[in-house]
Amino acid sequence: MSARGPGATLPRVVAAEWTKLTSLRSTWWAALASVVVSGALTYLSADAASGDPGYDPLGELTAGLLLTQLGPLVLGVLAGTGEYSTGGFRTTFVAVPRRWPVLAAQAVAVAGFALLVAVASVVAAVLAILPAASSRDLPVNLTEGSTPWTLAGMVVFLTGAAVFGLAVGALVRRVVPALVTVIGLTLVLPVVLTLAVESSGTTFVEGVTPQERAVNTITTLLPSGAGGLLVTSSDASTVPGTPDLGAVGGGLVLAAWALVPLVAAGVRLRLKDVK
Amino acid sequence: MIQVQLLTKRYGPHTAVDGLTFTAPPGAVTGFLGPNGAGKSTTMRMIVGLERPTSGTATVNGVRYADLSAPLRSVGTMLDARSVHPGRTAFRHLMAMARTHGIPRSRVEEVVGLTGLESVAGRRAGTFSLGMGQRLGIAGALLGDPGTLILDEPVNGLDPDGVLWVRHLVKGLAAEGRTVLLSSHLVHELALCADRVVVIGRGRLLAEAALGDPALGAGSLEDAYLRLTAGSVEYRAGAVDGGTR
Repeated sequence: MSARGPGATLPRVVAAEWTKLTSLRSTWWAALASVVVSGALTYLSADAASGDPGYDPLGELTAGLLLTQLGPLVLGVLAGTGEYSTGGFRTTFVAVPRRWPVLAAQAVAVAGFALLVAVASVVAAVLAILPAASSRDLPVNLTEGSTPWTLAGMVVFLTGAAVFGLAVGALVRRVVPALVTVIGLTLVLPVVLTLAVESSGTTFVEGVTPQERAVNTITTLLPSGAGGLLVTSSDASTVPGTPDLGAVGGGLVLAAWALVPLVAAGVRLRLKDVK
Repeated sequence: MIQVQLLTKRYGPHTAVDGLTFTAPPGAVTGFLGPNGAGKSTTMRMIVGLERPTSGTATVNGVRYADLSAPLRSVGTMLDARSVHPGRTAFRHLMAMARTHGIPRSRVEEVVGLTGLESVAGRRAGTFSLGMGQRLGIAGALLGDPGTLILDEPVNGLDPDGVLWVRHLVKGLAAEGRTVLLSSHLVHELALCADRVVVIGRGRLLAEAALGDPALGAGSLEDAYLRLTAGSVEYRAGAVDGGTR
């Protein structure tokens, strides 16, 4: 009846968060959505492109990536907000009153689960380019050139999206505002910015205008732009007027998008009451 | 043993708990009484570290809750039946709690049995009635076999069977030498299961005494309660906050 043995150690809290994550249906729905969207969009895109004269089957691998990330994003947001959108946080923080291990454990559990989802989604994308490739009798070799890096980059991109979602969810604590934030930053803002520049009627000017340069820079530094650098082979032509970060730089920018809100959420947990 | 000393909590200009001092000793059920909004739940949340006191201290066995090495093994807490993710089954909810302290699956099965949840443990908590939610909350509190229990309105929503069960449960826990702090607004129920009472109103201590202590005056606990809280009734009538903050 007295305190015996060590209590809430970090590995134990990770085990608890893994149980919590995998015991919600929403987690599995988001995972399934990621795999299905990845396979379906890549298949459709490969099928449409296979008629082109210079068709390269491997060029379609990342065709569905931008929308595939919605699954991991939602998975992360629901994991980050789940404690607060329900009363679950009371149980959680009474068991782990130091609080920060919960956040760290959630990041580990979500990253681990999202990694599996990401691998499954990338496998789905690979399988989806095979029918179009075989219809043109083109070989698909995944081990040549930059393809292994592209595949690894896709996995990191999708895993990073889930951790980014978790971080924003844990900071914002409410499902809808968190979803609006992550989807706005990853999908809506880049499109809006690009359209804004195009509509300003500078398309026919030679070279890159300052506005385009600014917009391209911002777009590259947004989560999906930075993540996109992970899957862009270094020999591919870069978007004009953007900082040349490379895959590692892109990965670091994506990591910052996850880390900054995560740290902010930790500070909020430490300084404020939870109720 | 729970010791609360000069505990104060302010939310801006509103003082929820105001210099509260009391002790819940081991081997007894301490009933925690007060009108809605008196600060019972706020006090309990401060004891378990969900809220930080503006001033004053709350300790369990002389240690601040957040400094306990294995909190679930020292203190079992049931604050609100809605402290569970509705999408998770009762069993998985308890398993996740247990894993934070390396508590084995066999103990989870044990508390599921103790609280009579066997037939519904595989159901998602969101489908539970209030009474089943209370039983799940009590199961979670018992998980670490703790020496101290903090139960906020545990009989709320329970059927007469359940009320009787909680009464026997808490008396048994106290008889084993454990500390039990149990809040309720059901004065009759507390008169049946508590050994001593702490009565608060407007966040302040109104009385702390053993049942039957002349300090509570002649007559029933209800008489004493109504007399003690008479000054807090206006507050209760005008309160916006039903004590759920």
